[in-house]
Amino acid sequence: MSGRVIVITSGKGGVGKTTASANIGTALAKLGNKVVMIDTDLGLRNLDLLLGLENRIVYTIVDVVEERCKLKQALVKDKKNPNLCLLAAAQTRDKSAVTEEQLKDICEKLKKDYDYILVDCPAGIEQGFQNAVAGATEAIVVTTPEMSAVRDADRIIGLLEAKEEIESYRLLLNRVRPNLIKSKDMMSVDDVVEILSADLIGIIPEDTGIITSTNKGEPIVNDEKSLAGRAYMNVARRITGEEIEFMNLEETSMVAKVKKFFKGLMGKEN
Amino acid sequence: MRENIFAELYNKLLGFFRQAEEEESAKDVACNRLRVVLMQDRTNLTPQLLERMRGELVELLSKYLEMDKEALELNLDQEGEQMALMLSIPVIRAKDEAEIEKALAEEEAKEDAEEIDETGESEEVQPQDFEKTDENPAEDSDTDDVAEEKPAEKVEEKPVKKFPDKEICGDCRECELSDDIECEKKQQSSGIKKQTKKGS
Repeated sequence: MSGRVIVITSGKGGVGKTTASANIGTALAKLGNKVVMIDTDLGLRNLDLLLGLENRIVYTIVDVVEERCKLKQALVKDKKNPNLCLLAAAQTRDKSAVTEEQLKDICEKLKKDYDYILVDCPAGIEQGFQNAVAGATEAIVVTTPEMSAVRDADRIIGLLEAKEEIESYRLLLNRVRPNLIKSKDMMSVDDVVEILSADLIGIIPEDTGIITSTNKGEPIVNDEKSLAGRAYMNVARRITGEEIEFMNLEETSMVAKVKKFFKGLMGKEN
Repeated sequence: MRENIFAELYNKLLGFFRQAEEEESAKDVACNRLRVVLMQDRTNLTPQLLERMRGELVELLSKYLEMDKEALELNLDQEGEQMALMLSIPVIRAKDEAEIEKALAEEEAKEDAEEIDETGESEEVQPQDFEKTDENPAEDSDTDDVAEEKPAEKVEEKPVKKFPDKEICGDCRECELSDDIECEKKQQSSGIKKQTKKGS
C-alpha cells in the first residue's frame, strides 16, 4: 500500500485548518479508509482536543523523532473509528524539535500502512510550514472569504507552487456566509476562486454547530444533519476521487426574486 | 390625487433600486483592493524599484518624445494568469529628427567619455557627501560585490552636467529619486569608497 500524504495549510491562523483536518480525517475514515493525522503544530497542539483524544496521548511526534518510542506506539486510536489515528504534537517543545527530513521519513513509513496521511500545518510560513509540507505530495489550502485570509492563501499557494514535491493543491473555502454574499457584503465563492485562480475542493458554510462540536471533542462530520458536516463529507468524497456537485448555498429567497423582478421591469423602461 | 401617490411610490421604488445598483458594495471594494495588493505581493518589485524604473524610462523616452514627465503612470495589471505592465505617458509632441540625433549623439559622447575615464583615476574622484557611509556597514558588505564588478563609472559621471534642467538625484545624476528614497547608486559608490580606503 502506498498512501497519499496531504498537508492542510492556510498561512493565516484561525481560518479553520485544524477543524478541517479533524473533519476530513474523520470523514475519510468513515468512508472506510485507513487514516492517520499528524499534528505538526509543536507547542500549540489542538488537533487532539478537536478529536476528543487529549487524555489518551502518551507519546508525541518528538518522542518518535528522539527515539523514546516506536512510531506505532505513538499513534493514538480514535474513540469511535478504529481506522483513524492521531500522531500528536509535543506541547512543551518548539518547531525546531523536528526537522523536514524527520517528518519526510515519518510520512514515508506511514504510507506503507495507511491510505491517507493528513498533516495539520501550523499557521505562518516559517519552519513549521516547511516541516509540515516536507513529506506531502498534495495540499489543501484553507481560506475564508476575507481579505486577509485570501491574501495569505495567495502567499501559501506561491510557496506551494515552488515546491517540486507538491503535485497538486486545492482550495477549501471555509466559513462562507450565504446571507452576506447575497447582500454583497462578502466576497462570493466565485470571487475568491477567480482571484486565487485555484481549483476548489469544498465550500463549508459558517455553522454554529462547529463550536458545540469542538466543545464536545466530536467532529461535526459525525452529525449527518448539519450542513457543515455534510459539506466536509463531500470534501472527503472528492478527495477519494468521487465527483460531487458543490452545495448551492445561495438559494434564492422570496425577497431576491421580487428584487430581480423589479430590476427586470426597470431595465425595460430605461 | 391618486395618480400622484402612485407616481411618488414608483419613483421611490425606482430610487431605491437605482441606489442599490450605483453604490459600490463592500464585496466589490474588497475584490478590487485584493487584486491590487496581490499584484504587488506576487512581484518582487518594491515601490523604490518601480520608482527607479519610472525614472529610467523617462530618461530613455525623453530622447524621442517631449512628454509630461510628472504625469507618467506606471502600473502593474493582471488579467487572468498574464501580468501586464501598463505605461501611460501624456505626450506633448514628438521630437523632430535633428533633436533626436542630437540626444543620441550626446549619449554616445557620454559613453565615450566614460570609457576613457574608466582607465583613469578612479580613486581621486571622490563624491563629497557620503556621511552615511559608516552608518550602514551592513549595506556596504552587500554592495561590495557589485562594486567590484562595476568599475567606478557612475562616480565619474558626477562632474558632467548633462541634464541641468531636471530635478535629479544628486548622487548618480541619473534617476529622479526624491530625497527620502535612497539612491542605489549612492549605496554602490559608498561601497567603492570603503574599498578604496581599505586598499590605501
